Amino acid sequence: MKGIPTVLITVSPEVSGQMRPPRALYPKGFKIGNSLGKPGMRELQKAVLQDALKLLTVDTRPGSIITHDFPEYGEYHEPPHVRK
Amino acid sequence: MAIARKCVPFTPFDGELAKSTVAIVSAGGVHRKDQEPFNISDELGDLTYRVLLEDVASTDLKVTHHHYDHSDADQDINVVFPIDVLRDLQTEGFIRDVAKKHIGYMGYTMQLKAMYEGTAREIANEIDKGSRADAVILTGG
Repeated sequence: MKGIPTVLITVSPEVSGQMRPPRALYPKGFKIGNSLGKPGMRELQKAVLQDALKLLTVDTRPGSIITHDFPEYGEYHEPPHVRK
Repeated sequence: MAIARKCVPFTPFDGELAKSTVAIVSAGGVHRKDQEPFNISDELGDLTYRVLLEDVASTDLKVTHHHYDHSDADQDINVVFPIDVLRDLQTEGFIRDVAKKHIGYMGYTMQLKAMYEGTAREIANEIDKGSRADAVILTGG
């Protein structure tokens, strides 16, 4: 097995960051339970999934999390923080 | 924590998205309604996973997970398991294909070693065998 490239979509970037995922997208301010957006918002869900998949094709720093804004989500939820 | 922090298990992606097959592996507690639900009464977490085949209907999926509010996923599973979104991307030619197999598991455990050395490897092998995936989208809740 040579390995399969992965991309994580996370709404808890600090928590996920501890695991140092190879590639990860944080849709900024999305609440837990809304990794791709809200129910029925297919265009938003598609935009998030496309942005995540595109991380496969660009040079990201392994272990880092890329933040993208999706204003159409319309809300901001503070993600959980890791106790230092 | 037993998980190595020094090395990121990075696998390069050599292809093009339009020629790639994509699988979903979700920690959001997703399974088919006719599959055994995850055991949320076990305080240590459920280490099992469910295989979801390519033709699974999104309306046949549900979430069993008690560590996040999945009321939105109950309305539209795509908010944590974007199977219909992936199909749209295939129709539009953004990706080549939806993988033959996808995985749902419950991303909560107090048994990190067993998850990392057992379940995670089993899931990776499951995807490696017969899913034909060139890449995997990972989601949580």
